[in-house]
Amino acid sequence: MLRVFARVFRKPRYSIIAVVVALTVMGAALLLPNKNLLVEVLLSESINLYSKVNFTFSLLGSITTNFSVFSAFYLVLVAIMFGVNISLLIYYIRRRQGKRTDKKMHLANVGGMVSAIFGIGCMACGSIVLTAIFGVFGSGVFIAALPLHGVEFGLIGLLLLAFSIYYITKRTDDPLLCKID
Amino acid sequence: MSEENNTPVYNQTTVSDSAKLSLKDLMIPLSIIVAGLFVGGGLYFGGGSTAPVAAVPAPNVPQQAAEQADNTAKVAEITAEDHIKGSLEAEIMIVEYSDFDCPFCSRFHDSMNQVVANDAEVAWVFRQFPLEQLHPQAPAVAAASECVAELGGNDAFWSFTDGYFAARGAGDSTPHNVLIPQLATSAGVSESTFSECFESQRTVELVQDDLNNAVETGGRGTPWSILIGPTGKTYPINGALPASAVEQLIEVARQEA
Repeated sequence: MLRVFARVFRKPRYSIIAVVVALTVMGAALLLPNKNLLVEVLLSESINLYSKVNFTFSLLGSITTNFSVFSAFYLVLVAIMFGVNISLLIYYIRRRQGKRTDKKMHLANVGGMVSAIFGIGCMACGSIVLTAIFGVFGSGVFIAALPLHGVEFGLIGLLLLAFSIYYITKRTDDPLLCKID
Repeated sequence: MSEENNTPVYNQTTVSDSAKLSLKDLMIPLSIIVAGLFVGGGLYFGGGSTAPVAAVPAPNVPQQAAEQADNTAKVAEITAEDHIKGSLEAEIMIVEYSDFDCPFCSRFHDSMNQVVANDAEVAWVFRQFPLEQLHPQAPAVAAASECVAELGGNDAFWSFTDGYFAARGAGDSTPHNVLIPQLATSAGVSESTFSECFESQRTVELVQDDLNNAVETGGRGTPWSILIGPTGKTYPINGALPASAVEQLIEVARQEA
């Protein structure tokens, strides 16, 4: 596994992809709670560019106020794993273009990323996405009914992401052979 | 056994296959895009808020109102009856709908204390938004704070509120039935009159009115705040922002004036 990591991330392109994806995930999670406000500020003609940029960056500071220690740690971890996952995946696909890819790997990847997105939460409780999906009244009831109050999604997401990374590296390490059934 | 059965079967991969991208290879990027759209759609159709949502007992407020994009202009008029830190005539007003037992409200309380301390032209209005399903004792604390305001005035209210958030923010787990009377008496309200007010439940309606207005303006979690700029333009603040972000938003509101 480490050998694959070294092989992939030795190439600057894949390191850059991982960093960009990780920062995008983190930025989105930090800015999305105030997306309406952000859009209003960014589109305003009477606000100068300096203030727009300053305001946008100031919102990123909400990781210290809007997230619990657990959810901030989880966000950083998911963002890094997301970036690594995408990078490995691109490497794998490029290397194996045209080969049959593994169905189990597809499921682990998509499952991991979707579950992790569901698990990213902030403020008082639970999940960003679940909140949006279940609406004002339903989400609280739904999250409250879960044994770990929404943390389940985060943990499942992390496990799936970890499995996905493991599985891609394992598959990447396999020699390119036409196997005999 | 026939010769056919003994012949190894090879995978169908050919050299020409390896030169092109198969549909299966595209499945993951497509799935990621679909997942992204799903997330984006969820957020969009959820009313633009990603704040956590508690079941808000606001039967008088149609849910549709909360789902509209921007209802912040429906913020109830600020009057001398409100709990205000700063001047009622301030250039910028920030109305916060808060839950006493929400840890993020405690952090935002610190941010807002910094903001009003640094800028005399900013006033902070505190309104109630207790999320009973998440914090079962929060409505009682809210009602108690209204009793303190009724009996001791604005300064007593802020003394109680600052004291409560400071205690909870510091991890003080003193039971509610001990901490509330302690803070009420520290704020200058006699224990007997406070008990009479609290037990009468006459402030519950005030709390419910604030809560209804919070939901009506688009509040979907706590803390939920609305900045009212010099021109009366409203800006939604979702969650606990650091003081620096609130100050940046104040500058933005001033530029738009």
